[in-house]
Amino acid sequence: MELSTNNSKLIPEDERQRSVETIQYIVIRLGEEQYGIDIRNIDTITRMQHITRVPKMPAYLKGVINLRGVVIPVMSMRLRMNLAEDEITKATRIIVLKLAEEGQVGFIVDEVKEVVSLSVDDIERIPDNKEGKANLINAVGKHNGELISLFDMSAISLEG
Amino acid sequence: MDVSQYLEIFLDETKEHLQNLNTRILELESDPENSDTINEIFRAAHSLKGMAGTMGYKRMQNLTHDMENVFSEVRNGTIKVMPEMIDVLFQCLDALEEYTDNIQSSADEGTNDNEPLIKKLNEILNGGSADNAEAGAPAQAEAAPKASSVEVGENKWDQVTLDSSQIAVIKAAQGEGKKVYGVNVVVQESCILKAARAFLVFKAVEELGEIIVSDPSAQDVEDEKFDRDFTLIVLSDADLDSVIKAAESVSEIEKATGAPLVLENNKSAAAEEGSEAGEAAADKPAEEKKPEAAAAKPAAVAAKPAAAAKPAAAAKPADNKKQAPGKPVVNRTVRVDIEKLDSLMNLVSELIIAKNSLVSASSQEQAASANNNSFNEQIEYLESVTTNLHESVMKVRMVPIESVVNKFPRMIRDLSKKLDKKMELYMTGEETELDRTVVDEIGDPLMHLLRNSADHGLESAEVRAQRGKPAVGSIFLDAYQDGNNVVIEVRDDGNGIDVEAVRNKAIERGTVTPEQAVNMTDKEIIDLLFLPSFSTAKQVTDVSGRGVGLDVVKSKIESLSGEVEVKSKLGEGSTWTIRLPLTLAIIQALMVVVGNEKYAISLGSIQTLEDIPPSDIKLVQNKEVINLRGMVIPLIRLNEVLDVKSNRSENDNLIVVIVKKGDKMAGFVIDELIGQQEIVIKSLGKYIKQCKFISGATILGDGEIALILDANALI
Repeated sequence: MELSTNNSKLIPEDERQRSVETIQYIVIRLGEEQYGIDIRNIDTITRMQHITRVPKMPAYLKGVINLRGVVIPVMSMRLRMNLAEDEITKATRIIVLKLAEEGQVGFIVDEVKEVVSLSVDDIERIPDNKEGKANLINAVGKHNGELISLFDMSAISLEG
Repeated sequence: MDVSQYLEIFLDETKEHLQNLNTRILELESDPENSDTINEIFRAAHSLKGMAGTMGYKRMQNLTHDMENVFSEVRNGTIKVMPEMIDVLFQCLDALEEYTDNIQSSADEGTNDNEPLIKKLNEILNGGSADNAEAGAPAQAEAAPKASSVEVGENKWDQVTLDSSQIAVIKAAQGEGKKVYGVNVVVQESCILKAARAFLVFKAVEELGEIIVSDPSAQDVEDEKFDRDFTLIVLSDADLDSVIKAAESVSEIEKATGAPLVLENNKSAAAEEGSEAGEAAADKPAEEKKPEAAAAKPAAVAAKPAAAAKPAAAAKPADNKKQAPGKPVVNRTVRVDIEKLDSLMNLVSELIIAKNSLVSASSQEQAASANNNSFNEQIEYLESVTTNLHESVMKVRMVPIESVVNKFPRMIRDLSKKLDKKMELYMTGEETELDRTVVDEIGDPLMHLLRNSADHGLESAEVRAQRGKPAVGSIFLDAYQDGNNVVIEVRDDGNGIDVEAVRNKAIERGTVTPEQAVNMTDKEIIDLLFLPSFSTAKQVTDVSGRGVGLDVVKSKIESLSGEVEVKSKLGEGSTWTIRLPLTLAIIQALMVVVGNEKYAISLGSIQTLEDIPPSDIKLVQNKEVINLRGMVIPLIRLNEVLDVKSNRSENDNLIVVIVKKGDKMAGFVIDELIGQQEIVIKSLGKYIKQCKFISGATILGDGEIALILDANALI
């Protein structure tokens, strides 16, 4: 229940009602940790491609890509989380989110693993923490005995 | 009657009529005796009235009705055109425009009755026609000009063949004390969609009563199988005048005549008389409903083309008259939402990018195997098709600037009265085409410049007389295409810009120090005018001089990727030149490499490309400059600006792109030239906006993105 209130900015009222039972998350890997992104915010997942650098931008803002004719800014999720610089491998993907205010934004992640359905009972909310990466993560989900940190999409979209 | 579906057409047509009236009344002012103009005005006013009436906008109808009365008296020669009258008429047009705006925003005409205007109109009417007792009777006034009327047989309704049941209905109705009229309706010769107009007449008349007989039949009328007139026999409680007025309220109806029907005068009725007089007529009303239902469809379909075809009809009635009657003009225009065009444009850009990838892939293939001739042919074919497709889509977005500049003559006329200066506006090149988005934005800046010319530019009559200039000041608005640009010039033969006054003002305001001011060239001083809140008008007037003009003009034009400059000679006048790109979506650009990255620089700002040996670089105030053909030009090393490492060595010659912004020049040092290319501009999105020298991005043939450098921001 608590999670659904957090997501209220991004999810329409009626949809929230329906999704009380389970929420689907895309599980991604950054380094050794697993993170979940609410599937409803995701527009596309593409393979890593050439990113055109834009000068005078913060380091985590990697540049822009061409996604089917639309120019989309791409940022590094690792740098955004204060982790080490990305290592581009075959598994590296760009997750394109569709945000209400900013439109499409891409995030570089190490790997996209799977889609999981978490029931509300398995999601535990983290109290607000003003420092570090905690402000991007607002909940933790339990799945098959592993923990998945869940992103607060409204926090990601606010900065940039 | 539900008219909401016609609202859009009504608005379009009303605006056209109003514009037409504005133009014609201006003509009338300079040439009060021109009967063609007067007729044209009368027709437009009449159509307006009819349309407003049909749509149920009573206030609008009342006002136009009174205007029409005045025009009809002018046409009859009982009133002379007086300057005061023109003023009142223009006020009426403004009021009508207000109604139209209200209708557009809320589908309601508002509550302003404009009583004072109507009173003024009536004063004109009474003053002018005191000696003419019959003047002012609208029905009479609406009679068509004799010249264009065809042989319309009076009392045509007596020729209509009636069958026995119809006669019975008529008799029964007359027996009940209802009135039966014969009405003959004549459609204007220039009318393009007679069936639609006829349908509206049917509708209007049916509101008042029942149409028993139509000759030609309703079906034939609907199929436009009639020449210019049709006859109705109407059963109604209303009086004859209101039936005729209802018919005439439809636009493009030349006239309607009618009289109470006397059965004895009808030849067929007379023949049948007696033999089947008593026959019942129960099935009649049902049949009469048919024309309405059947005619509704073509009218709805036909109404749209009518709106589109209207400009031609309004502009050149003479041309239309030559067209054979009864042959509908094929509709050749379509109104399209600009967003749909944008998405079409996007798809075409995508196609071009895909095609480019295919071309580069095929050239690699070709190296591998020589046996792919037909493949190559197809690629080439695809290339030419996409290029043509692209051009066509671009053209679709282009519209003439006419729609914007048309309102200016009227504005200048009003300014002339307000400022008490005599002036005349001469316009050329109204047909010059620009991208729709640019045309929509260009109106306000142009209006500012024209107002400026009228207020500050042109001198008062005394000064003009002293200087030996003609009493009437001239303002010119010229538009023409110049390569990939469209140039719009606003020119006046007035005082020009008083550079010294500007200089003093600048010092007084603290914009520049007195020392700076002395060293500034006249051109630099004039450019100060474009700074925010800089106005030299000694008095703030209603027209201009609040200091919000020129900087707004400049920023607006620049937001359209255009530029504005002014040339002026004291005592002789000024010329304001606006240069706009033909389109915003696609530009010609020079592709360059800096570091290992590709960038595009708009070709518009590039002057030359130079090959400079490192030894030519001089240092001035610790900044690198080159001396190019006598000009000292500062160098900007793009790799430093863009934070990349140059891939050229220190000793190599430099490739320098010389760019120009106004009078300022700079040389951009780049690593490599790729060449000239037509690029599609894409936005970088909301996330990336901090970088002010990147104006956008474009997608190259291989799908890669190149950033577009804004040379103006770098200089």
